[in-house]
Amino acid sequence: MMDFLRLLARNRLAFAGLIVMGVVVALAILTPILPLAPPDVTNTANRFQPVLSEGAWLGTDHLGRDLLSRLMWGTRLSVAVGFAAALIAATLGAGIGIVAGFYGGRTDNIIMRGIDMLMAFPYILLALAIVAALGPGLMNALIAVAAVNIPFFARNIRGITVGIAHKEFVDAARLSGMKDARIILSEVLPNVIPVIVIAMSTTVGWMILETAGLSFLGLGSQPPQADLGSMLGEARSALITNPHTSVVPGAMILVIVMAINLLGDGVRDALDPRLKSGALSRPMPATKVDRKTIPYQGDNTDDSLLNIRALETQFHVKNRVYRAVGGVDLRVAPGQCLGLIGESGSGKSVTALSVMGLVASPPGVITGGAAYYKGEDLIGAPYKTLRALRGDRISYIFQDPLATLHPLYTIGDQLAEAIRVHHPVSRGEARARAVDLLKSVRIPNAESRANSYPHELSGGMRQRVGIAMALANDPDVIIADEPTTALDVTVQAQILSLLNDLRRERGLAIIFITHDFGVVAQLCDHVAVMYAGRIVEHGPTNDILRAPAHPYTARLMACVPELGQGRRELAAIPGLPPMVDQLPAGCAFAPRCDMASAACKTGDIALGTTQTGRAVRCLTPHTTAPVEVEV
Amino acid sequence: MAGYILKRLLSAIPVLFGISVIVFVIMAMIPGDPATAILGSYATPENVEKLNRDLGLDKPMVQRYFIWLGNMVQGDFGRSFSLNRDVLDEVLDRFGATLILAGTSFVLCSILGVAAGVVSAARQYGLADKAITFAVLLGISIPSFFLGMMMILIFAVKLRWFPVSGMWPIYGARDVPALISHLTLPALALAVVATGVIARLSRSAMLEVLRQDFIRTARAKGVPERAVIWRHALRAAMVSIIPVLGVQAGFVLSGAVYIEMVFQWPGVGRMLVDAILQRDILLVQGGVVFVAACYVLFNIAVDVAQSLLDPRIKT
Ligand code: SF4
Repeated sequence: MMDFLRLLARNRLAFAGLIVMGVVVALAILTPILPLAPPDVTNTANRFQPVLSEGAWLGTDHLGRDLLSRLMWGTRLSVAVGFAAALIAATLGAGIGIVAGFYGGRTDNIIMRGIDMLMAFPYILLALAIVAALGPGLMNALIAVAAVNIPFFARNIRGITVGIAHKEFVDAARLSGMKDARIILSEVLPNVIPVIVIAMSTTVGWMILETAGLSFLGLGSQPPQADLGSMLGEARSALITNPHTSVVPGAMILVIVMAINLLGDGVRDALDPRLKSGALSRPMPATKVDRKTIPYQGDNTDDSLLNIRALETQFHVKNRVYRAVGGVDLRVAPGQCLGLIGESGSGKSVTALSVMGLVASPPGVITGGAAYYKGEDLIGAPYKTLRALRGDRISYIFQDPLATLHPLYTIGDQLAEAIRVHHPVSRGEARARAVDLLKSVRIPNAESRANSYPHELSGGMRQRVGIAMALANDPDVIIADEPTTALDVTVQAQILSLLNDLRRERGLAIIFITHDFGVVAQLCDHVAVMYAGRIVEHGPTNDILRAPAHPYTARLMACVPELGQGRRELAAIPGLPPMVDQLPAGCAFAPRCDMASAACKTGDIALGTTQTGRAVRCLTPHTTAPVEVEV
Repeated sequence: MAGYILKRLLSAIPVLFGISVIVFVIMAMIPGDPATAILGSYATPENVEKLNRDLGLDKPMVQRYFIWLGNMVQGDFGRSFSLNRDVLDEVLDRFGATLILAGTSFVLCSILGVAAGVVSAARQYGLADKAITFAVLLGISIPSFFLGMMMILIFAVKLRWFPVSGMWPIYGARDVPALISHLTLPALALAVVATGVIARLSRSAMLEVLRQDFIRTARAKGVPERAVIWRHALRAAMVSIIPVLGVQAGFVLSGAVYIEMVFQWPGVGRMLVDAILQRDILLVQGGVVFVAACYVLFNIAVDVAQSLLDPRIKT
């Protein structure tokens, strides 16, 4: 409860709503003892006094009654009626919902059918019908508004109750012979009350508005008694000559409803963290870049296409900083394939996505390093440059193409779009090329398949579509993020050989992200092993496969011996990778390393290079030198 | 597709049936003798007796219900005593005017609401987002009848841009320009609340979609941001926006009652309020059943639109 109030107080708008509402309610309660003119005493000689006139601050209405007094009494009535309607609707609705949800089966079915029927009405028709039957009057308007809102509560509460009714503690209570009524009161009710409060806080405003509306139509409070709605209704005929008589009650309704809405939003945010604003922030078109220094590109004679230098990417969530990538260097040349390997959470995907600014931001921030494509730094490049290169020169193949393909466009359209955003070709031509692309990734019946939606294809087919999309503009670099993880062994092998062919034929450079050494062995000439956001070992694939130097690499390899067995999530390494917001000092692998010594846990360990083009970040690497291995 | 539409239409039958039961039950709550209630103060003993016979009011409830239902199915909604006219004729006349008003408002609030929601999401926490969020808060808090009155005051009385009220000029041609000038203020006033609600939900639907993987794919393809938002994200967000539009259509139809009163629009809502004040029960009953039935059919159209948009829905 205290937490709830604190959360609410932190939300400034909701707090303002709370204060306004507090004042309104206090005034409404105090109205009878305030020194106000009697609200219903008419004085036609004094009619339509303007605002700020002698003895009547807000003027008088068409019968010469004091507007301020009428406003206060009207507010009192409107607020009371609105809250009463909300309470009635919440109580009855919650009761119905709990019964339906708790008992389930036939009871539930019949009740919910009835609720659906009620919800099939535009709500005011129902309210009008009820008022028509009962006759105009404030009490009847209250009943009508409450009744119309019951289905809303019933449906919400039923949903929650169904969830609770099957929980263990309810079963336990049942088994222990507790009566249903007691279970509902002691186990179910406490759990649904927050939901009732949220639903009430978001509907009270409505109910005040609705009862005022019925009164405005002349169907609610009857003269001389007046709530805000009927004040407005009566003032309507004098709208043009004496607008203040309309503005006063109308503005009051606006203020009350607005305060309640602000408060309601605040209550909902505080009680339902999932909806909290900020939890849902949209990723920007390109990752935010905030670099202190830009590393020197290195020698320009270098033949690499893509040269990533000292890349650092972090996630800033509230006050915590997660260092997902902590200074990574990688490079690929045309026709080369680099494997980037590591457990999930090691930062390999973030590294890859950083290159083209595709890390979701917020919360992602690239805090350092550079990524040179043909000598041009992509980190911090203007959006226009990035966009022109994305999918054209450097393209991605993502994992899980069911989520990564647009569900509502045919794959033909999606492929054609990939072409058309970079080349001014006609629809027909783009379409023809899309079909060719589908053929080139060996999709049978490409023409008709182009009209399929992603959900109509098998996983392997979708992955091929993902590859076709990456190839659409004949890129120089493809970054493939675990493109085979979800597939079965045969399909996986087919896709790997497809990528391999393309690399040979088109001179593609590939960065292949995986956690599977079997895949790396088949496709990659070089491999970089990542752990906790840094590269721990780097070198030619064959060398590393034969003689892993870093204890972590050795462990990884021990876990995944064969191609196609790679679906295990490397559970065989004892311990978990460290949280990247609390990296230990020294070697990040130390807590899981057999060979860890005290020295490993003190200073930062550099990525040492050996003369054979291998690099290891370890104080005591496995000593089998690669030179001794016959290749 | 035709099969799907037929299936949805068939599924509407129990709902329509339920609606008629609910209306019948509510009307059965009328205290006292229904014939007297229907005839109001005009009742003479002979008239009461005749009506009792005509409506079968002397028969048991269930039987009465089926007589009533049977008559309605045949298009006989009874006769309004206050207007001395067949209920259905009156309702049809008035419903046309409501349809013009509510239909225009619905189109307006759908377009404006979705657009505002999209812009708001695309510029999250930016100036446009804050401005829209504030406008939306104002829009969903202001009573539409009060807003309508203020609009009359400003745009009709002060600025004289639009007529004060009514659907047609008292003198002069009943042509489209005349209709538009009469329609503008009430349609806008009616659209405001729903625009706010739609904008709010569109914003959160868009924020939800923009986090999805396929948006990252679109960006990775090099799709320009504008197309990412309006083509990729909006299309996917529409799947959750369209049902909201369906619900909001009900709110627009409801709000039309107030707006018709404020702007003296000769629609079904004003007819209902007048009928209630006159205690013309048959007219209320007929109007409610007719409008509710139309709303049910409209929601079927919404479902069909949804299935056209989303290929994953089995038709
Ligand atoms: S530095 Fe020490 S703890 Fe780290 S991998 Fe090498 S031996 Fe193990």
